[in-house]
Amino acid sequence: MRRIRTLTAVAALATAPLLLASCAGGGGTGGGDAGGEVDSLTMLDYWNNEPDKTIMQGVIDTCSEEIGVKIERETVPGKDLIQKVLQRSSSKTLPDILMLDNPDVQEIAATGGLAPLSRFDVDTEGFAQGILDAATYEDEVYGLAPAVNTLGIFYNKTLLDEAGIEPPKTWDDLKAASAALTEGDRYGIAFSAIATYEGAWQFLPFMWTNGGDETDLQTPEVAEALQLWVDLVEDGSASGGVVNWSQADVKDQFVAGKAAMMVNGPWQIPALADTDFEWGSVLVPVNEEGQKPVAPLGGEVLTVPETGDEARQAKAAEFIGCVTNEENSMAVAEARFMVPTRTSLVDAYVEKVPSMEAFTQQVVDARSRTGKLGEEWPTVATVIYNAVQLAITGEATPADALEQAARG
Amino acid sequence: MTTALITVDQSAARRQRARSTRSRLSTVVGIALLAIMLFPVYWMVNTSLQPSGNTLNAGLIPWNPSFAGYEQALADQGGNLLTSLIVSIGSVVVCLVIAAPAAYALAQFRYRWISVALLVILIAQMIPGIVIANALYAAYNDLGLLNSVVGLILADASHSIPFAILVLRAFMMGLHPSILEAARVDGAGPVRAFWSIALPIAKNALITAGLFAFLFAWSDFLFALTLTTTEDLRPVTLGIYSYLGTQVSNWSAVMATAVLSSLPAIVLLLVAQRYIAAGAMGGAVK
Amino acid sequence: MTTVLSSRRRRLRREDVIKALFVVPAAIYILLFFGYPVVKNILMGFQDYTTKTFFTGEAPWVGLQNYVTAVTSGLFWPAMANTLLFTIGSLIGQFVIGMGLAVFFRRQFPLSGFLRAMLLLPWLLPLIVSSATWRAILDKDSGILNQALGAIGLDAVPWLTSPDVALIAVILVNIWVGIPFNVTLLYGGLQDIPEELYEAASLDGATGWKAFWHITLPNLRPVMSVVLVLGVVYTLKVLDVILGLTGGGPANATQTIAIRAYQTSFVDFEFGVGAAFSNILILLSLVFALIYLRSNRKAVDE
Repeated sequence: MRRIRTLTAVAALATAPLLLASCAGGGGTGGGDAGGEVDSLTMLDYWNNEPDKTIMQGVIDTCSEEIGVKIERETVPGKDLIQKVLQRSSSKTLPDILMLDNPDVQEIAATGGLAPLSRFDVDTEGFAQGILDAATYEDEVYGLAPAVNTLGIFYNKTLLDEAGIEPPKTWDDLKAASAALTEGDRYGIAFSAIATYEGAWQFLPFMWTNGGDETDLQTPEVAEALQLWVDLVEDGSASGGVVNWSQADVKDQFVAGKAAMMVNGPWQIPALADTDFEWGSVLVPVNEEGQKPVAPLGGEVLTVPETGDEARQAKAAEFIGCVTNEENSMAVAEARFMVPTRTSLVDAYVEKVPSMEAFTQQVVDARSRTGKLGEEWPTVATVIYNAVQLAITGEATPADALEQAARG
Repeated sequence: MTTALITVDQSAARRQRARSTRSRLSTVVGIALLAIMLFPVYWMVNTSLQPSGNTLNAGLIPWNPSFAGYEQALADQGGNLLTSLIVSIGSVVVCLVIAAPAAYALAQFRYRWISVALLVILIAQMIPGIVIANALYAAYNDLGLLNSVVGLILADASHSIPFAILVLRAFMMGLHPSILEAARVDGAGPVRAFWSIALPIAKNALITAGLFAFLFAWSDFLFALTLTTTEDLRPVTLGIYSYLGTQVSNWSAVMATAVLSSLPAIVLLLVAQRYIAAGAMGGAVK
Repeated sequence: MTTVLSSRRRRLRREDVIKALFVVPAAIYILLFFGYPVVKNILMGFQDYTTKTFFTGEAPWVGLQNYVTAVTSGLFWPAMANTLLFTIGSLIGQFVIGMGLAVFFRRQFPLSGFLRAMLLLPWLLPLIVSSATWRAILDKDSGILNQALGAIGLDAVPWLTSPDVALIAVILVNIWVGIPFNVTLLYGGLQDIPEELYEAASLDGATGWKAFWHITLPNLRPVMSVVLVLGVVYTLKVLDVILGLTGGGPANATQTIAIRAYQTSFVDFEFGVGAAFSNILILLSLVFALIYLRSNRKAVDE
């Protein structure tokens, strides 16, 4: 009898904190009087490490001066951004300016937590279609990006010249070159086939270039692309370690001379500065004549969350307009080795930064990951990297791997 | 008469020599075991001294050490180290103050609901940290405890309080009730019995539990990330993440920070281990 | 007569209050910091909780649907099998090696204090650093372990890239991570066993193994069972080690229920199903917890 009484008492006490927490409302943060002059805005982003942190701070300072507000900035590690966003969402303390990686924009917009930019005085004309697609949900644009990046093939010029090999343009070229360049403890090529969205991202250029589509993975085009990767590993031209390498690991392999070529993006260029060999870059190779090299679009988008304070939101939109204007777009692109999103700047950019020529060309036809699938992208990305892992580890043939992964 | 004494002395001396050879052998074996156990730590130090920040082209010994990582770590992380130390030591205090009496009560008092209490404590240990972090964020935000040292100390103590209660209780169960009975007969109340008798005897247990409370708080990343929104309060675990970006990482700085941040903790470990002496309990029973 | 009785009763009641105060701070702390999360997690398991819920607060009730989704997902049984293998393998390794080391260090020898303190060094390193270091050590092509194996004529082992070996590799690293915990606690427990017991036994001729079996083990029971039950609870929850080494791969070879819970929530954004997975994990831990409590009650009765 007493035990039952004690148990009910314990249960009641346990629910007390639950009631307390649900009763408490959310509090707003930041300075500035409601509805009057806005003198400071809060911002959340994941540019938490150097050099990005300082570079972006420069742009933020420029714009904060221009529009006359102070920006209180919080930076978090990349993989923890969404967790923070969700926490802030539920406690109604979203920042005034929110940076999101472009494939996440539609997911967050679907929650109703972002404000469509059409509500404010922001110019969404003149941007590359791919990035607008990524940031569009139900025909409304929710964010803009100052610069974008993509994938290409980096190659060790010194090694290729020595072996008399041209940078690969087709898949057959790629296989031949990789095989020829594999020697000793050096592999011909390195790429990332890791069990995360990075692995899926790296597979997209091959899948898309061959005509495959993320809306239906059970097609021969996708299986062919997967077969390419499987062949590279089976031939010994690529290490079996690709299933556990992130893009950063791939870059390390390339820089250490353990891989003659790598599939990677231009953000790695600063890390390539100290190599003891010359390097070059080309577009991703095509399978057959007449195909166009298509690569995925990367880069971060700035959005305006629904904080309920219209004056602050308007100011935030103004800030975003400033960061994505021609001058700042160019500055960010130059400093971070990305491509400016404004199509009008592309030619001037290639003149300024010739090492980015291949990537700039690639961006013109780049596709966003969420353009067609929107919020469904994470599920499909999981299927892609699971299939890749099954195929490369030899657990299944490419076609079977795609099927198995779709079931899981 | 004297011959017998001399023989006894000789055999005693022989036994003494045998014991000291065995001791020295133990030291050698101990060092070998430690070397195997700590090889990954050595490898981490090796990585921190590599100019490339990785061990792809590294040999066993870093012949050309690069201190760039250390320079950066020293420049950036000094304040963070202090923060970590304060939060960790605070956690230890909170943990022991709350856990020791509870453990004593669960070990020595005869309550019918002890099993239920133990179950509750064990369940507390089973909850994934992220669930607690999310709940705490909401509560801290409302209470204004975000970005506060006190808030972090209380949160980090959650890693160790259930653990400490269970461990301290296990140690305290070995406490012979006769000692406490003797004290009661002498008129000491439960508090006196706890403070003057049980605690000194359970010194080993308290230091061990305190050690783990420190280590749990020191290596906490989840609460450091969740419960801070500005850069004012950054424990060193969070500081390390400033070198790990989404796309570019500075591993030599990461490893260097890890090495540097272990140093003050090592000192504390050495000091604490010295106090875990043998036979603290045994003497009391007599 | 009555005044003596009532004053004694008053003293006894006051004593009860003081005794209760021993546990009150702990009880309050646990209810505040763990009560709400547990209840919330249980409720989430029955709701359709998505990113939208975080913003709008709406989470429609779906009853057992999340649990059905979790249990019928293709990865559930492989993850369950891996979880059990991982836990049992880690525990046996950690406990046996920990006990061995604790017994080894029992006798004082020069430097033993220093060596014991240094054994805790792995725990001072953030898990992200330890996993990164182990990843480098276990790399198939350039990892130092395979290079060492090569030096003695063995083939390189694809530690983290072969679905057949990856689970073993991850278990080995987890054992390494868990040894300091086991050694320190068991050593502390050993120190509390009075030396006289061993001396008395040696007079009767019981030394070495016999002494260990008849003196050490019985006296160490409470500490041993705590170490084991906590070991199980902690190992079932292990996330960072596996995520840092293989991310659950290759080809889902190192997926465990804990990883399923994390990935379902934070990668797939299906928090209800993620909560279902973590509740299943809690139920699993509960089984071991109940075994511990049963053995504990027997010990108290002894």
